[in-house]
Amino acid sequence: MSGNYFSGLFKGVKSLLVGMGETWKELWTKKVTAEYPENRKTTLFVSDRWRATLTMPHDENNEHACTSCKVCETNCPNGTIQVIQKVIETEEGKKKKVLDRYLYDLGMCTFCNLCVLTCPSDAIVFSKDFENATFTRDRLKEQLNKEGSKLREKKKEVKPEAEKSAPEAE
Amino acid sequence: MNYSQPLELSHVTAWLDEVLRGAMPEFWALLIEYVLIGVVLLTLYAVLALILIYAERKITAFFQSRLGPNRVGKWGIVQSVADMVKILIKEIIYVKKVDKVLFYVAPFFMIVASMLTFGAIPFGQGLQVVDFNIGVFYVLAVSSLGIIGVLLAGWSSNNKYSMVGAMRSGAQFVSYELSAGLALMTMVVLSGTMQLSEIVESQRYCWNLFNGHISAVIAFVIYLISGHAETNRGPFDLPEAESELIAGYHTEYSGLQFGFFYLAEYLNMFIIAAIATTVFLGGWMPIQVKGWDTFNQIMWYIPSYLWFFAKAAVLVFISLWVRWSFPRLRIDQLLNLEWKYLLPINLVNIFVMVLLVLSGLTLTGLFPNVFGN
Amino acid sequence: METIKKLILEKLPEAVIEDKQPLCVSVEPKQVHLLMETLYNNPEYNFDVLLKVIGMDWGEKLGVIYFLTGSKDLFAKEIVVKTATADRENPLLYSLTDLYETALLNEREIYAMFGIRFINNPDMRKFFLNEDWIGYPLRKDYDGAPALNPMKVESKEIQDVTRRLTEVDGKIQEERIDIFEVDDYIINIGPQHPSTHGVMHFRTALDGEIIKKIDVHSGYIHRGIEKLSENLGYHQILHFTDRLDYLSANINRHCLCMCIEKAAEIEVPERAQYIRTILDELTRIESHLLGWAAQCNDLGATTAFVYGMREREMILHIFEKVCGGRLIMNQNVIGGVMFDIYPEFQKEVKEFIPYMREKLIEYDRFFSHNVIALGRMIGIGVLKQEDAVSYAITGPAGRASGWSCDVRKHKAYSLYDQVEFKEVIRKEGDSYARYLNRLDEIAESLHIIEQLIDNIPEGSFQTKTKPIIRIPEGEYYQSVEAGRGVFSVFIDSRGDKTPYRLKFRSPSMSLVSAMPLICKGEKLADFIGIGGSMDYVIPDIDR
Ligand code: SF4
Ligand code: SF4
Repeated sequence: MSGNYFSGLFKGVKSLLVGMGETWKELWTKKVTAEYPENRKTTLFVSDRWRATLTMPHDENNEHACTSCKVCETNCPNGTIQVIQKVIETEEGKKKKVLDRYLYDLGMCTFCNLCVLTCPSDAIVFSKDFENATFTRDRLKEQLNKEGSKLREKKKEVKPEAEKSAPEAE
Repeated sequence: MNYSQPLELSHVTAWLDEVLRGAMPEFWALLIEYVLIGVVLLTLYAVLALILIYAERKITAFFQSRLGPNRVGKWGIVQSVADMVKILIKEIIYVKKVDKVLFYVAPFFMIVASMLTFGAIPFGQGLQVVDFNIGVFYVLAVSSLGIIGVLLAGWSSNNKYSMVGAMRSGAQFVSYELSAGLALMTMVVLSGTMQLSEIVESQRYCWNLFNGHISAVIAFVIYLISGHAETNRGPFDLPEAESELIAGYHTEYSGLQFGFFYLAEYLNMFIIAAIATTVFLGGWMPIQVKGWDTFNQIMWYIPSYLWFFAKAAVLVFISLWVRWSFPRLRIDQLLNLEWKYLLPINLVNIFVMVLLVLSGLTLTGLFPNVFGN
Repeated sequence: METIKKLILEKLPEAVIEDKQPLCVSVEPKQVHLLMETLYNNPEYNFDVLLKVIGMDWGEKLGVIYFLTGSKDLFAKEIVVKTATADRENPLLYSLTDLYETALLNEREIYAMFGIRFINNPDMRKFFLNEDWIGYPLRKDYDGAPALNPMKVESKEIQDVTRRLTEVDGKIQEERIDIFEVDDYIINIGPQHPSTHGVMHFRTALDGEIIKKIDVHSGYIHRGIEKLSENLGYHQILHFTDRLDYLSANINRHCLCMCIEKAAEIEVPERAQYIRTILDELTRIESHLLGWAAQCNDLGATTAFVYGMREREMILHIFEKVCGGRLIMNQNVIGGVMFDIYPEFQKEVKEFIPYMREKLIEYDRFFSHNVIALGRMIGIGVLKQEDAVSYAITGPAGRASGWSCDVRKHKAYSLYDQVEFKEVIRKEGDSYARYLNRLDEIAESLHIIEQLIDNIPEGSFQTKTKPIIRIPEGEYYQSVEAGRGVFSVFIDSRGDKTPYRLKFRSPSMSLVSAMPLICKGEKLADFIGIGGSMDYVIPDIDR
């Protein structure tokens, strides 16, 4: 009985001291805190595959690749994307539907990547600018095509962005 | 053996006293002195709390492989000040259906109790506000007032979590008060006095911790444990166990009222360290060796209050180290520890101490010309 | 299976047996209980695990699908029992709570979602939904107009009364039962509480520090994922799985992908299998690390929490590089994985393995033998094996009660039949066993990864699939071993591009359902500790 009492006491104290030894070691180890935002330019790591916000790359002529086919809109599970078309007349006098506004609501997006995967023209990509906080929800709604931009005429190679894979669209 | 003590604050106080007494009647001089002392103490109280909070946060962070506060000022040094300002300007929220009066006074109990204890601590040579001849007893008595604040807070908040927290606190406090008291009594047996200044004086060449060897070390450990428990600090923070009771007895408090609890907690931690320093580690007395006059002189160049704070700081560090290494005890483990381990050991220990002292087996008794005063 | 068929027909000659995989028996509501009893007591192989209880709306009929298997050798034999009633106004079925404890919450969920009430269920309240919710969401004719169930701002008193239906001489009687006694000291642990690990709500009656009774409320973050899925294509449903048990995101998604691939007969390339398995195991480590950290935190060791998070961060870092997501990974897609691994993947994972082993030793020294911690875990919250089986508690918690219930062993999927690993089983069933199990499983997972990481074959990581997938008519089941136990998917397809019914089995719901049992008589502080040791994740329950 008394043997138990004391061995219990000593074992207990020993276990506590071993634990304190571990924290003592930790006291001197390198700290892991990431000092954001100071480390923006140094140690901050954002993967290239990171999906922060949807963007539509425009080239130097203010042209994008979106044919306004609405595949992304139908594929999006939660109605984040709205593709608004307008009808213009081409030089040959034919009527043609082109992209008027490409609306994207960052607040709704679940970053499932389906829109990017299914876009037949590779017109949209995810950027890795993750600092998207705003003060109101309305500010999260964006128009992705720039003012006055138009569809790129000849299909040029699009810069290989984040690894593309998965199903081609219909 | 009067060593020169150039940096001692007692020079300043003595000089001030002289000037005041010379300039006005004794009554006014005393009055001014009282007010001054009060102001200085209060300031010290607040400043110490700020330093302690900063130290705790920083050291905790290092234990947890983080950096801790590092935004406000270099290394986050003024973080505590910023927090204090924030707490001062924060709205105090009164919850419906609280018992208004009790809810309001509870934090004051806490803070007054810890301030009263604070006043009796000898911070340095001649830096003690009142030197009761029953100092140890006084310290024990007033520090236990704080529990009333906790119980009132828990009761008046009209919150079940607070209530559970307060009840835990009651059980915990009553139990550990006993151990803390007995551990100090052990040392009173050794020193033969309850007057804090004399206790310090008697440790000139040999700290009580070594003087009473086995017995004193046991009493020291027990005192630290029960002191921890009394101040509700982890791993004994059951009354406010945040993963169980949200914040325990002070769940409903906000703003300055919460600040009072917060402040009192940190100051109590310091007070425990300070008392342990005084009773076990020679208080403000510099390390001295009989006969080595030059060495002693050098030691005396370091002013006594620095000695005091340095020793206390070591104890505070140990307290933090323990706090952040262990999980929280459960109420029955807590009571078990007290009633099954600490109390019986303590009782035996006090008896052993009496024997040691009576039979002259203390270090001062054994080697009077090395350690004796 | 033939003997079982014979046995069933002997007892219930009118039962309709479909020879499918798994065997499917349809019976009238009145006979379900008898059939279940027969199967439960079947001497050859006790069907004592009610793994899934799936409410169904077949159009005309409302009913339930029960998925049964046995604890002795999980999944060795499986049987599906169906029952239905044509009464849509007041559908009544018979409860199985006396045989399977896990039926209790599941039947309550079905009541909320389909309006089917169960006779003899001792607590026939809606689970997830308020009593006054209008309509039954998972019925096909549910009217989801917001005006019917407007959002209310004012708070409502909780009514601690329940009903119980009993059948006396063919007549249904309803009695009201008070859940608590009049002078019980009730505290609400949750929905806002630091240690419920989410928006969970336990109404807890205390006797001093001791827990007298717990009443579980959930549904504060119910999102109706199963209902949403009925209107979405299979590609689109995938992203919901990451949001169930977010700590086993990749494993859940793997399960749904496998189920669809099996149904649509899509081959998955070898390379994708490797990537999936490795990421699954990394997910498991990550999930167990968080479980460990949170459990320590619940016991008051905040420092341990930070250590756990620190190691977990390294895995999340790898995840981020592989698939651009840390928590919500989005990696598995139908036919493979979305992204191939990056060039340094193998190197980084191989660096992580020894690092993690070292840290496991540190955890062991730091916490596993600490007297205070031991006192707070050993012998606390004991879950006996028969209870684990009855509540269908799987995962580390089930294995801590001595029940060998690892899907990876019993019904290996992906590459688990090619790797060598130990199923960690302990007998004690207390918090400490669950605690140690989790740490040991981290070690086992490291071992699995080690075997795979160097052998990832070259080749494609994805089979191209059609943009719209149609699954042939039928019912499909798939189970995997997620971080907290058996996670499974049930798809009922009518050949459309959307599922007719999709059901996720959530391991956390079983874990929570046992809380009232194992916490009874423990101290309040231990209730929190036990919760940490069960390690449930709320969105998994609330689906
Ligand atoms: S972004 Fe792509 S998928 Fe969407 S409308 Fe434009 S071209 Fe079509
Ligand atoms: S990532 Fe998914 S949710 Fe977001 S816009 Fe694309 S398809 Fe929609």
